[in-house]
Amino acid sequence: MKRFSQLAFPYIVWSILLLLLPMIIVFFYSITTGGNGIISFEFTLKNYIKFFTDPDFVIVLWRSVKIAVKTTIICILLAYPVAYFIAGNNDRVRNMLVFAITIPTWINMLVRTYAWIGILTEGGIVSKLLKLLGFAHTELLYTESAVLIGMVYNFLPFMILQIVSSLCKMDRSLLDASSDLGANGVQTFLRVTFPLSLPGVVSGISLVFLPAVSSFFIPKLLGGGQYFLIGNVIENQFITVGEWNFGSAISVIMAILMMLSMYCVRRLESKNSQESD
Amino acid sequence: MEEKTLIQFKNIVMSFEDQLVLKNINLDIKENEFVTLLGPSGCGKTTLLRILGGFLEPTEGEVLFDGVDISNLPPYKRELNTVFQKYALFPHMNVHDNIAFGLKIKKVSKDVIEQKVMKMLKLIGLDGYENKNVTLLSGGQQQRVAIARALVNEPKVLLLDEPLGALDLKLRKEMQYELKRIQQEVGITFIFVTHDQEEALTMSDKIVIMKGGEIQQIGTPQEIYNTPVNRFVADFVGESNIIPGRMLDDYLVRFDDQNFECLDYGFAKNEAVDVVIRPEDLVIVPTEEGVLTGIVDSVLFKGMHYETVVETVPGTSVTVHMRIIKNNEVISADGKEKISANDFFVDIEDVAALDDKEVVARADAQAWNPETDEYISLNSIDYSVKEEEGEYPVVFSTSNGTMIQKMIYVVNQPIVKNAKANEAVMAFNFFKTADELMESQALDTDLKLWANAQGWKLSDEEQTVDMYADYDFDPENVKEGQSYRVTFSTTGRELKVRTVNYVEEGTEVGLKLGKNDIHVMKRM
Repeated sequence: MKRFSQLAFPYIVWSILLLLLPMIIVFFYSITTGGNGIISFEFTLKNYIKFFTDPDFVIVLWRSVKIAVKTTIICILLAYPVAYFIAGNNDRVRNMLVFAITIPTWINMLVRTYAWIGILTEGGIVSKLLKLLGFAHTELLYTESAVLIGMVYNFLPFMILQIVSSLCKMDRSLLDASSDLGANGVQTFLRVTFPLSLPGVVSGISLVFLPAVSSFFIPKLLGGGQYFLIGNVIENQFITVGEWNFGSAISVIMAILMMLSMYCVRRLESKNSQESD
Repeated sequence: MEEKTLIQFKNIVMSFEDQLVLKNINLDIKENEFVTLLGPSGCGKTTLLRILGGFLEPTEGEVLFDGVDISNLPPYKRELNTVFQKYALFPHMNVHDNIAFGLKIKKVSKDVIEQKVMKMLKLIGLDGYENKNVTLLSGGQQQRVAIARALVNEPKVLLLDEPLGALDLKLRKEMQYELKRIQQEVGITFIFVTHDQEEALTMSDKIVIMKGGEIQQIGTPQEIYNTPVNRFVADFVGESNIIPGRMLDDYLVRFDDQNFECLDYGFAKNEAVDVVIRPEDLVIVPTEEGVLTGIVDSVLFKGMHYETVVETVPGTSVTVHMRIIKNNEVISADGKEKISANDFFVDIEDVAALDDKEVVARADAQAWNPETDEYISLNSIDYSVKEEEGEYPVVFSTSNGTMIQKMIYVVNQPIVKNAKANEAVMAFNFFKTADELMESQALDTDLKLWANAQGWKLSDEEQTVDMYADYDFDPENVKEGQSYRVTFSTTGRELKVRTVNYVEEGTEVGLKLGKNDIHVMKRM
């Protein structure tokens, strides 16, 4: 093992330089004022206080969490039936379907989100379809719904694949056993299949909620200038306003929030695996 | 009191993608019977069980349960429960919830569930384990939970698919007794699938032996063991000596040139049959007292007894000479090619069948590059042989012209016949270099090959007989120009005898057996 730990040395240097160091710098910025000027700075918690005392910012944070939750729930509802269908097929068909779901992700998320602008805009496919169906109100772009659609679209494959994976890992003989013991299709699903697929759902949640809550270009592109999420706020502070300290503070708050959610996810996972009905 | 028939398989046929797995199975199972489906892997026993459980639909035929056709009922509507081979315990539930699963589905009231689950835990000896996670249990414990989970539902029939397969020997034997005890205590029908014949003999009221999708025999353990219906059953269950023979008349059978009284009848006069004698039924006695006589060939210690092999009919043998010759390789001018070959003998009758491939094989002709050891193919094999005794040259050459000349000796090789054992053997003298002898990885096999040693049945020339080689030279230490004897023999008749005492190899002994130790079966 000693040999291997020596091989890890370059990676440790890399991690420190490119991962740990930036995080320390961000944290450092968040607890100081004085912006870019390195010479004159003082330690303070002013940035954090600013965030929590200004109602606007808290509203934006809350809005981000809300939409991330909505996205996650919609993803679960849409992904589960699809994943169930995919998992029920033989190897070859299943691989094809998984492949089909994965292909769009080869194209950059940003590009695909741009595409949605074209789809949702007034005069685009969706609005034409809605007009045909008799809806009067067809401006979808630059609304919360557009942002929601964009997020669900981008993160759905991750949820599907996680659920497919955990469904496939399930021992098929358990279904035989359940049926043998008197459970019909529905009962088997509720008592055996679904509980055993939960680890997949839970890991799917972490792959959807976390990116959703911190995303900034999806709300920027599809929400227009009107729909501000916390990611946008951070971007704004750094690029437009120039308040690096404040921006850093918000970033740290977000990081803590994500770590808390991950912890909850972990607790859920371990509780599941030791569950005694 | 005749128990009523609970389950009936009628003309069950099962085919998977063109493969016929079950061929017309008809079987009745009575109430409270412990029936074992026994057979080698792939015989269809698990398939039959799964059809009964409702996990497979038969291609043809019906399954009757209590007189009602259940072929269309899904598993959850059938009044039986299964113990699966790999237990299939629910990993997300503890022991209590696994066992209670079936009861909860039936919406049994909570206190009744508690009662029954506790009773079951006591029965399987896992009292106090209710809250344990099933994945943390040992194999034996998991298996007991699987049994409890099935039994708690009080099914009429319990299906067990090789449930003891994953356990070590001691635990398996314990569980065999446990299962039998539970079956008799609870009083339900057990249908057990296994490939372990000892297990089947220990536990069953009735054994169904299957092979290749067909039922070979149905009977009690004693019936199956003492009166197997054919060679497969005799061999599969217990150790056996199986001897081909002829049924002269009712109660009289002839094998190995002797007549024996037996208890079997109903065969056609002079019908070819298989005779089975169990090793424990043969007794070693002084030669004068024996019905058969022979020499002890080998002794194997088996713990409780010795498995002694006695040769009662010596095999047929033939002795040939092996002459060691100088290394006769020819090397090409540029040193890049070496070619070698040997003289060989051929029987006059085999001359017609000689072709290039055969000549190369018999002469052991090869060409190779001495530097890289790569094989070079032989470009031309030149010879002309007549069906007359004599010497005929043969020339092997590569495409580069490296060649070697050897001789083919056509002889009228005498055959050694053994009418008593119905066989004949033949082998040829041969030539080999000392190197070839030392390089040989499996000398016995090579000697047979080099001498072209063959054995066949006199009654059917196509049927070959196995031979083994005997020699007393040291393959590492042979001298050029010297001739060595090699003897090839067939095994003759060897009988396995179970003895309590050690009898030394080479001892002449007699074997005693009575008419109830012989069982005659139809030839398969």
